[in-house]
Amino acid sequence: MTGPDAQDHVKIKLEHLTVAYEQVRGHLAVIQDLSLSIYEREFLCIVGASGCGKTTLLNVIAGLIAPSSGIVQMDGRPIRTAGPERAMVFQEDAVFPWYTVRQNLEYGLRMAHMPQARRDEIVSRYLQLVGLEESQHDYPRELSGGMRKRVDVARAMTLDPQVLLMDEPFASLDALTKEHLQVEFLKLWSAARMTVLFVTHDLEEALFLADRVVVMSKRGGRIRHTVTVPFARPRAIELKTQPAFQDVRRDLARDLEV
Amino acid sequence: MARSRAIRYRPSLRRVIVPVLLIAAWTVAGQYRVIDRLFLPSSADLWEAFRALAPLLPSAILTTISMVMVGFMIGVSFGAASGLLMAYSPLIRDLLGSIFDFLRPVPVFALIPMFILWFGIGRAPQITLIALGTSVVLGVTTLEAIRNVPSIYMRAALTLGANRRQIYSTVIVPYILPHLIGAVRVAAAASWGLDVAAEFMGSQQGLGYLIILQQTFLRTAGILILVIVYSVLAVIFDAVLRALEARLTRWTERHAVRGAVGAIVGFG
Repeated sequence: MTGPDAQDHVKIKLEHLTVAYEQVRGHLAVIQDLSLSIYEREFLCIVGASGCGKTTLLNVIAGLIAPSSGIVQMDGRPIRTAGPERAMVFQEDAVFPWYTVRQNLEYGLRMAHMPQARRDEIVSRYLQLVGLEESQHDYPRELSGGMRKRVDVARAMTLDPQVLLMDEPFASLDALTKEHLQVEFLKLWSAARMTVLFVTHDLEEALFLADRVVVMSKRGGRIRHTVTVPFARPRAIELKTQPAFQDVRRDLARDLEV
Repeated sequence: MARSRAIRYRPSLRRVIVPVLLIAAWTVAGQYRVIDRLFLPSSADLWEAFRALAPLLPSAILTTISMVMVGFMIGVSFGAASGLLMAYSPLIRDLLGSIFDFLRPVPVFALIPMFILWFGIGRAPQITLIALGTSVVLGVTTLEAIRNVPSIYMRAALTLGANRRQIYSTVIVPYILPHLIGAVRVAAAASWGLDVAAEFMGSQQGLGYLIILQQTFLRTAGILILVIVYSVLAVIFDAVLRALEARLTRWTERHAVRGAVGAIVGFG
């Protein structure tokens, strides 16, 4: 699938969204009059310089920050609070250190009061999918950064969310682990096929993962423009070294600088 | 060179050096009557005093332990519970917060005369004193620990579908437990001191009461024996709490701190 068709169902709809923070001297608008539609089962990446408001945008959709004005909807209904149908993977290490790997994966299901047998089944499946079966009874401090991120992603996916929000999830990892997790995550996603909103400042990551890439302007919290990624799926890591990929990447980088 | 190496590599040996030297100095001082026996009794005096006190000790120890435990348990649970409730409900915070702020700097010992007036003489005012002293420590620490829970864990829990009550039981309580155990140990140590003060206010049994009795007859050796009993009890109790701490903090970084970083803070 490359790019959404006009008749695709709009999953998340943002219209004239503005988010401003109170400051000592007046307001600071982090996002200003932003409109964006994210389609069902679409993998959308948002790229932009740090401080451009992309994390705030994700937090608004997650229901963690209330917009100052404008419309934020999922399936036509306004988003008011956080909820498991919009699970989020954060940039920071958000794995609960007081729970073991298995207990972390189980967390959302436990909060939803799912019966133990059903929980065990789902958790075991995801432990296997992300290759953490052997570490399932370890505490997070015993894991490497890459393994902790796997726990974090798997924990969000056990809930089978309709929308998965990812805030630079792989930014703190080394290049090799990062590529590894990108490939793994694409595999997971192509099996589950939920709507993904993925924030990153890494252009190659965005082009490798997404159906569409939204470029945000440096200041003012606006969308500079949107790029439909032309590469077919399934994508292998070798794609990154191909001339066509690098051409698109170069164009995108030029957009970001202006 | 060889000797210094033996000392460096046997921590157990190093740890007894100072106590052994102190005991030796004390024995010599007693032998040669350097200091008046009234001020510093000799080891023979202590043994004598211990034999005289021995029949009274079991029931006194039992009384004291039960008072400390009851007061400590009430104080810790009430303190931690009110800290949690103050964080959970703004109403309770407004109602109780000023009381805690007001009580915290007050030396509870200063309230002893009022306690006798309110609760009379006996166990009730004594247990109340211990409970009050420990609950203030726990209440303040609990509220402070809750304020320091990193928001990332709460944000993660929210997006995973947890409600407010679930966040308290699955994020806040597990996170603050290792922080509270430090306060619990401080409160435990303080509760023995509070017990001595409590027993000074007209009790008829217990170790503190025995100290008052020895004081009346100027039996300093007896007082020292009772002080030693108090210390032994406090050390044992602290060891129990530390074992509990080790269980509760298995997940923390503390157990992973080794090598250079560990050496800096003494966990090496």
